[in-house]
Amino acid sequence: MVASKTVDLVRLSWRILHMALTAVWAHRLRSCFVILGVALGIASLTIIVAAVDGAERKAYEIVDSFGPDAVFILGGDIRNRAVGQRTNTLSYADAEVLRQSLPGAYRVVPMRAQHNLPVRFENNKMQVSAIVGATAGYADVWNWPLSEGRDFSEEDIQRGAKVCLIGDTPANELFGDRSPVGRTIYIEKLPVQVIGRLSYRGFSGGGGSIDERIILPITTLTQRFNLDRKYFRALRVKFTSTENMDFHVENLTSLLRKQHNLAEGQPDDFSILTADEILGFLSMFKGGLLLFLGITAAVAIVVGGFVLANLFYLSVDERKSEIGLKKALGAKNSAILLQVLAEAVILTLIGSLFGMAIGMGMAQLLERLGILEILFSWKVFTYSTLSSVAIGILFGLRPARKAAAMVPIEVLKG
Amino acid sequence: MSHHPVIHLEDICKTFSLAGQPVEVLKGISLQIDPGEFIALLGTSGSGKSTLMHILGLLDRPTTGRYNLAGQDVSQLPDERLSELRNSMVGFIFQSFYLIPYVSARENVMLPGLYSSTPGRVLKARAEELLTLVGLADRMDFKPGQLSGGQQQRVAIARALVNDPQVLLADEPTGQLDSKTSGEILDLLSDIHRQGRTVILVTHDLATANYAGRKIFLDDGRIKNS
Repeated sequence: MVASKTVDLVRLSWRILHMALTAVWAHRLRSCFVILGVALGIASLTIIVAAVDGAERKAYEIVDSFGPDAVFILGGDIRNRAVGQRTNTLSYADAEVLRQSLPGAYRVVPMRAQHNLPVRFENNKMQVSAIVGATAGYADVWNWPLSEGRDFSEEDIQRGAKVCLIGDTPANELFGDRSPVGRTIYIEKLPVQVIGRLSYRGFSGGGGSIDERIILPITTLTQRFNLDRKYFRALRVKFTSTENMDFHVENLTSLLRKQHNLAEGQPDDFSILTADEILGFLSMFKGGLLLFLGITAAVAIVVGGFVLANLFYLSVDERKSEIGLKKALGAKNSAILLQVLAEAVILTLIGSLFGMAIGMGMAQLLERLGILEILFSWKVFTYSTLSSVAIGILFGLRPARKAAAMVPIEVLKG
Repeated sequence: MSHHPVIHLEDICKTFSLAGQPVEVLKGISLQIDPGEFIALLGTSGSGKSTLMHILGLLDRPTTGRYNLAGQDVSQLPDERLSELRNSMVGFIFQSFYLIPYVSARENVMLPGLYSSTPGRVLKARAEELLTLVGLADRMDFKPGQLSGGQQQRVAIARALVNDPQVLLADEPTGQLDSKTSGEILDLLSDIHRQGRTVILVTHDLATANYAGRKIFLDDGRIKNS
């Protein structure tokens, strides 16, 4: 008895599903509107989940490339900058002192850059957003392997040699498939020989691609492009081990304070950034992203749900006689309720597939524009599917109840 | 079984409330219908015949009185049970056909069977057999919109028979058809009756009622002795 009841129930469910599919297909126009309404909501959800995951991955990548064994020193106090405070506070003398007397530090690299200079190779021209000055061993200091060629030597730096490393973007634009190594390019009017090519890194560091850069010996950059010879913007210090970073930072701070003759109680005139702080900043950014995009998605999904609810109310009204007929012919209330819910869920599921497609398309676009880093996963699929089923049931329930409550003798007249 | 009436009404009353005022529509109807009878239920509009038909068809419950259908008291059953009994015991034919416009004749005929436990293959075979019986063997895949009024009512008749019900309830089945087509439909109902089924024909038209074996006149909520 129980077994045959189960068989009956499965058969009835299957038949109701079939009827729902037939009805959805028969009312194609209405179905399209519901699908569209839901798809937009799911599209935003897709973008959000992908973007938040992408942001998280990017955060770790940045920290990874920054290196857990390194700190970044900026001129001026970026946390609470006093009015009129100088930001040109880091000098060559500071770098030299750190290099010689900071325990555990094995590289101290001053950083200096020029922006948006024209670069030419034969007839190919482009504007390169970052021309960066560096000391020997750039690839090692930045954990950024070369895909071909060699790094700067100490001799290159001392001589102020006219050599450079080229980032992936300018290498592609200026040389196409050819190897840039050994060729001579012109930065403004200065001829420079390419000695190495940086591998593709592929994430944007806020404002332009990180791969769009050319690296010169810092001496060459200073002499040829008339930069301030005494001060520079930033200093990168790499330590031999990641242990005791707090201790290193403390040492560094007192050393620099002494070097800058800061009295007790006077604020620092420099800022030290560690990997942990960058991670903290990025997770704050991620939280903001989640909140902002989350609200947007919630609104979009609720709007989709209301579209569904409204169209289903109309539909139930329009199909009154069909529903009344089915009830007269022996369909129970539960069968009618299930059919309307099935129709709603079928449409929201199709909507969620479309939504994911739209979302991924938009995400690709955003990624290509360098606005967001996108990561796709089963998580996106699961969230979209579950929330679309939830919309279908939640917003389909009232129209479905209305349909189930119809009284055949009131509907079937004449 | 055949000595027992298929339908036995005892003192059926039905009261509606209209704008707060109780209105008595059926005032004590007692009636027996034997298996295999062809009954015409006659009455003008307002006579209560629609209400009586709804009660006979298990679409409504009497306020008081007893209704025995095939030996079972169905006067005050819950909705779920009434749905099951409508599905298995009663075949409905309506004045405006009420076919589902977006599915084929065959699927329309199968509809009541979909809510029963008849397996799909059996159901499909039965639908095709019935469509052949009503003369639509070559129209099974047509949608209602592609059929004439008479053909649509034939589909509805086939649908009413698909669950092999005890009672066929036809509410003004020729109300929307021309006289020639009406004759054909009534002939078809007579054929179905001759094959041993109980048919109740609800109408206001005496000529239509003449197809039946027994006429019951309803006037102001009571049965008039003819």
